[in-house]
Amino acid sequence: MNQTKKLLIIDDDPDFVAGMKSILVKANYEVDVAYNPKDGLQALQTKPYDLLLLDIMMGRGAEGIMIARKLGKDPKLRNLPVLIITGIREQMAFLFPGQAVHPHFVAVDELVEKPVEPKLLLEKVEALLKTAEARKGQSK
Amino acid sequence: MRPKHKILVIDDEEVVLDSCTQVLSAGDCHVATAPNGTDGLKLVETFEPELVFIDLKMPGLSGFEVLERLRTNHPEIEAIVITGYATVSSAIEAMKKGAFDFLPKPFTPEELRLITRRALEHRELARQAAALRREKEMLRENFAAIVSHELKSPLGAIQQNLYALIDELGDKLSDEQKDRLVRLKKRVDDLLNLIHSWLRVFSVDLSKLKENFRPLELATVVARAVDIVHQHAVRKSVEIEVAVPGDLPMVSGDEGSLTEVVVNLLNNAVKYSFANSKVTVRAGTQDGEVFLSVIDTGVGIAKEDLKHLFQDFGRGRKQPEGAEGCGLGLAISKRIVEVHGGSIEVQSEPGKGSAFTVRLPVARADMDVVTNPSTGSQT
Repeated sequence: MNQTKKLLIIDDDPDFVAGMKSILVKANYEVDVAYNPKDGLQALQTKPYDLLLLDIMMGRGAEGIMIARKLGKDPKLRNLPVLIITGIREQMAFLFPGQAVHPHFVAVDELVEKPVEPKLLLEKVEALLKTAEARKGQSK
Repeated sequence: MRPKHKILVIDDEEVVLDSCTQVLSAGDCHVATAPNGTDGLKLVETFEPELVFIDLKMPGLSGFEVLERLRTNHPEIEAIVITGYATVSSAIEAMKKGAFDFLPKPFTPEELRLITRRALEHRELARQAAALRREKEMLRENFAAIVSHELKSPLGAIQQNLYALIDELGDKLSDEQKDRLVRLKKRVDDLLNLIHSWLRVFSVDLSKLKENFRPLELATVVARAVDIVHQHAVRKSVEIEVAVPGDLPMVSGDEGSLTEVVVNLLNNAVKYSFANSKVTVRAGTQDGEVFLSVIDTGVGIAKEDLKHLFQDFGRGRKQPEGAEGCGLGLAISKRIVEVHGGSIEVQSEPGKGSAFTVRLPVARADMDVVTNPSTGSQT
């Protein structure tokens, strides 16, 4: 393996984050955390990350979706792979009526439901990183 | 100060318009007038009145036509008809068409004021009732969001940490301690599943399933369901026997939710069966319908419990030890089957067992048998 991958978690539930972070840290990832969308966006602007884990249902509404939409519009961040974490599938369907439940905000993203089994979490993170890398290689 | 009530009077007689304006403007009303139906309907759009007086007999557009259009386009506006040729029959006709009341000409200022006040009060009550209905509806619709955030989030956080702890402490804990953590995880899982079931009952619009209907082999559905229930059956030493003929006609439906129905029925059958007994799944056609029966030889259901069986939270009183459940499985199943145009029924005898039978219409032959993958059910 080359250098340690840097991940950012944006999620407003510190306890949930703790449970995710320890799994990722144990698997040798470097993990930063932002507990609100504002800090999250700032972190993304100031530090390069290899992957974002994004809670889609933060705060009152779907503030996570706002972040995902912003990422999609940002030419620098558009290629950042995103693992979307959602509390419940029905809400996703409700927010995107008539669409596939997985909305594809950015080029490389995946969706998992809370809570996430460690094995599944690590598999998804690894797969997303691999896909993003392969895309980078292609575009060069 | 509260805003003035806006009232529109449509009448071809200028004297009526004048006197109405005078009488009502003296109160807390803002009055606009129109000399014919066409102008009146135009004014409805710009003036946005709460109450409209309509003369029934006018040249051009008749009062009835004005009333009808008003009811269709603006059901929230109250209408009172003014009947010049004070015949009761035309007044009744107008009220059938949705007028709140009628005012026979000639009328006194007091009569006009009284009928106006009553109509405005009626409108206010109707508005309040509608607002309450809307609120109730919104509460129901947002139930999913509320429950999921208030209950699922904390449980999800607990579960996530249990996952992490089991993972991290794997080599430090004794087997007994590990077992306790795994059992905790299972309990939280059960809670999350329970919340999921509640959400399905209260807030998911099952009629939307129809969008994903396609021709299905019941045999496939049964096979999937048996696969899911298999573990449960093995643990209870119950054998599941499947007797589904290969030439069964297709049904039209949503595979995921029909599988859920069969899983619910099988789970119940296994749950209420005695050890070393058999649960049978039988299917066939009868009276142009496809039927599927799940038959057990378990504890059975008391007669007085049968009628509550398909209601929300309706569980039979006689619970075998270790049989846990929320009593929503059958209620959900019934709704799913009904969305499919089918029915579900039960026959049972305490001590001998139960037979649940689902009947579904046969898929029409002209239905597109080649399925379009993009319309398939999403998971």
